[in-house]
Amino acid sequence: MALCLPLLVCAPACRRDAGAPPPVAPRQPVRATLARVKGAVSVKRAAGDEWRAATEGTTLYDDDKLRTGSGGSAELRFPSGTVVAVSEDTLLGIAETQAAPGRPQADVTVLRGAVDATLDRPANQSLTVGTPAATVRAGREIVFQ
Amino acid sequence: MSRALAAALAFLATATATTPGETLVRPGESLAEVAARTLGSEGAAAELLAFNHLEGTPAAGTRLLLPGPERARAVAAIGSARSAVVQAPPGSARTEAESRLAEAESLLAHARYAEAAAEADGAWKLLADSREPRSRFAVAVEPDGRTRVRVHEGVPVRVEAQGHSRTVRAGETLAVIRGEPPGEPTIESGPGGRSEPPVLVSPEPGLKLALEPAPGGLGPVRFTWKPVPEAAGYVVELVGPRSQTLRTAQPGITVPGLPQGRYRWSVRAVQGDGELGPAATRMVQLVPGRIKLEVKEAPWQ
Repeated sequence: MALCLPLLVCAPACRRDAGAPPPVAPRQPVRATLARVKGAVSVKRAAGDEWRAATEGTTLYDDDKLRTGSGGSAELRFPSGTVVAVSEDTLLGIAETQAAPGRPQADVTVLRGAVDATLDRPANQSLTVGTPAATVRAGREIVFQ
Repeated sequence: MSRALAAALAFLATATATTPGETLVRPGESLAEVAARTLGSEGAAAELLAFNHLEGTPAAGTRLLLPGPERARAVAAIGSARSAVVQAPPGSARTEAESRLAEAESLLAHARYAEAAAEADGAWKLLADSREPRSRFAVAVEPDGRTRVRVHEGVPVRVEAQGHSRTVRAGETLAVIRGEPPGEPTIESGPGGRSEPPVLVSPEPGLKLALEPAPGGLGPVRFTWKPVPEAAGYVVELVGPRSQTLRTAQPGITVPGLPQGRYRWSVRAVQGDGELGPAATRMVQLVPGRIKLEVKEAPWQ
């Protein structure tokens, strides 16, 4: 009986398909959902070392990474309504977000490639895009010079 | 007289008895062919079955009821919503509208026309109501590590690096070299850059137009703007008492009649690659009046 319990616990993970995105730890807030996935698009979980093919509806969590290959593209849809279109040959990470209650925020870090961001209600949304050289802040609570 | 000929004659005799709202399945005719003949699309076969509360392929001679104008209304509403979704920019409104449009198409396939029209209208209105100024910008990390920020439209963004901060406004581009503070934004309009918004000409900003009664309300109303170089066409959006999206190849368009009230009108150029450029927007108010205000054509026309 003592041997059966660990087997039962690991069973769901052991059954997953090789091409499916890896599982994530439960109870993490969903940071973004993938849409309009075209071509080579893959995801690496924060706790994993393996890149797995991503599909429409794949959910992303803190510190997950997304990679598009040549000709690949996808949209990141955040709960706030912010949409980030990811171009081909791009590598980005979902950054940990410390948003105030009721103030939807989305953070991504672009390490390579290009993204095109759309905030359709910028008065109520905010997005931070980090890169190796700069931090770009858009949306609410932006104080201009 | 052969038996087949007798059957055909009998069928013809029955067919002549159908009323405009019904049809008979002809010998050898598939349901898809009936749908194509009566509803204009083979894909409407399942809808025809649902409308008649039938299951399976009806036999030759079966009398089928045909939907009336309620179907035409639903199809038109779905067409408008589909067009609006195609032209809508990415965002939560488009995502929700896509979902409602799919629901409308499903309802149409089940011959639930009133619900399909309502759902499609909802999708269309969702996009019409969501046209508040949005923010769109691009961030690119180039192979040499340089970051390039380009604001396409909407409110400015702030770029921070090495403890310094710069504001980048619509139409501006800013490059940041790794390890250095951000430089000055530049206005980019060369190859690869998106076009500027069209320069609107008439009606002038905030103008109250007194117009005569016309079909559809008051009119005619002419909207004009300066041509955008290399534009393949223009998309004009009217948001007001009767919202609509129009397309034209010319830098101007005339609407025969609109209900009175305040309208926000915006124009986007269609780029060579089919992408829409940034929008220019104005408000105009249409009021009934005995004196018709003529809008002069601009000299460039």
